[in-house]
Amino acid sequence: MKNLYLIIALVFFSLQSYSQDDLMDILDDEVEEEIEYIIATFKSTRIINGHSIERMKKGQLDFRINHRFGQLNSGGYELWGLDNALINLSFEYGINDRIMIGFRRGTNNKVYDGSVKFSLLRQSKGKRVMPVSVSYFSDMSFKTQRGYLDLPNISDAGFDINQHRLAFTHQLLIARKFNDKLSLQLSPSFVHRNIVAPGENNDIYALGIGGRYKFIRRVAFTFEYFYTNNVTADNIYHYPLAIGFDIETGGHVFQLFVTNSRAMVEDGFLGETTGNWLDGGLYFGFNMSRVFALAGSE
Amino acid sequence: MKSRIILVLIFACLSIGMQAQKYITKTGTIEIFSETPMFTIEGINRKVASVINVETGDVVASTLVRSFKFKEALVEEHFNENYIESDKFPKSIFKGKIMNIDKIDFSKDGSYEITFEGKLTIHGTTNYIKEKGNLTIKEGVITVIVDFSVSLKAYKIKVEKSYEDAIKDDILLKIHFDYKPYNKKK
Repeated sequence: MKNLYLIIALVFFSLQSYSQDDLMDILDDEVEEEIEYIIATFKSTRIINGHSIERMKKGQLDFRINHRFGQLNSGGYELWGLDNALINLSFEYGINDRIMIGFRRGTNNKVYDGSVKFSLLRQSKGKRVMPVSVSYFSDMSFKTQRGYLDLPNISDAGFDINQHRLAFTHQLLIARKFNDKLSLQLSPSFVHRNIVAPGENNDIYALGIGGRYKFIRRVAFTFEYFYTNNVTADNIYHYPLAIGFDIETGGHVFQLFVTNSRAMVEDGFLGETTGNWLDGGLYFGFNMSRVFALAGSE
Repeated sequence: MKSRIILVLIFACLSIGMQAQKYITKTGTIEIFSETPMFTIEGINRKVASVINVETGDVVASTLVRSFKFKEALVEEHFNENYIESDKFPKSIFKGKIMNIDKIDFSKDGSYEITFEGKLTIHGTTNYIKEKGNLTIKEGVITVIVDFSVSLKAYKIKVEKSYEDAIKDDILLKIHFDYKPYNKKK
């Protein structure tokens, strides 16, 4: 008889925990499945030189200090290039979670440029499955260097002449985060330069491939390569190739790499990369990004 | 003796058969909070779902951890990617019971201190918890407010040595659920 009571007690007990599972079933029924957007395809808005699909979120300001040092094989006297740094300062701001605007000043050719990047598709799973993220990036640069391609000084000329200093870049950035370690991106690109050196094309078509492999927490290996129609046997140009590491700390992302491009503006590294990887024509590069939250994101 | 058993069984069947009164919320909030001299972390999740059975005191809650929002996008990214690992462990779940449910009169407005216990699963790790909170009944809405701390170590959430000064092991959770009567979906 005692056993029977025990069984009944057990039945009650199991019913009790069963009823919590019942409640859980109610929740699963009631709560609608959400679209889960994939986050952190890349750690930064740049893969290395080129832009990644990532944008600043709403109200977030990214202050970047990007360096390209001198040629690595320039010898001990130049401290292997460290004496000779080009610097880019930039501010990039997220107007909302999809649109980012940027403004930048670079040492090379004393260039100013403005850019806009917006998200067309976001990789997602759950309620809606989207295999890739796609962003569109557009940049307009203005080279203020005196004597740039023998143009008169800006103050001595009108807009009809000074507009020659403009260059335009359009990129479609298509990326997929395959897992928490591996992300890859394809970047079909178009550059138009209003003026070029004799014998060069005003228009450049390029296809970039880049990616990251995050092999431990907070550190990723990165690479980036662009194939362009701008490299021929009888000019001085090379295909841009860069290899490096992303290192993230609390509020900073550091990118350390070697590249054969010295220019940091898009029309510069896509159109005017002169370093030769096979001949020590490499530059040590260093991007530092600090993000400030000016307004809350939602 | 036999008749007593049968009687007990009948009661058992009856109690299962009765449609127990349940209350539900899908917009419960959990705030998480950690403050050190170096760094303050504040996040809020407004999409916590919970059901309470006012007859048995059974209560469950569930949320997608990625629904936690932070002011700094980078903190949100670190929270999801490096600490809570929301890709691997998308949900946090509580299954438990309000122990003193029979002291509560749900038919009229009132406020009670409650004790609840059960299993809390965060980051794929389950711990038994027993905490106190407050339950208020007002105009048919049951409000449950609970503050308690969880230890990151207890849930196997690893903080690197170099960040131990910036991120506390004890994270304060502030929970606020407003339950409304549950009607089964047709």
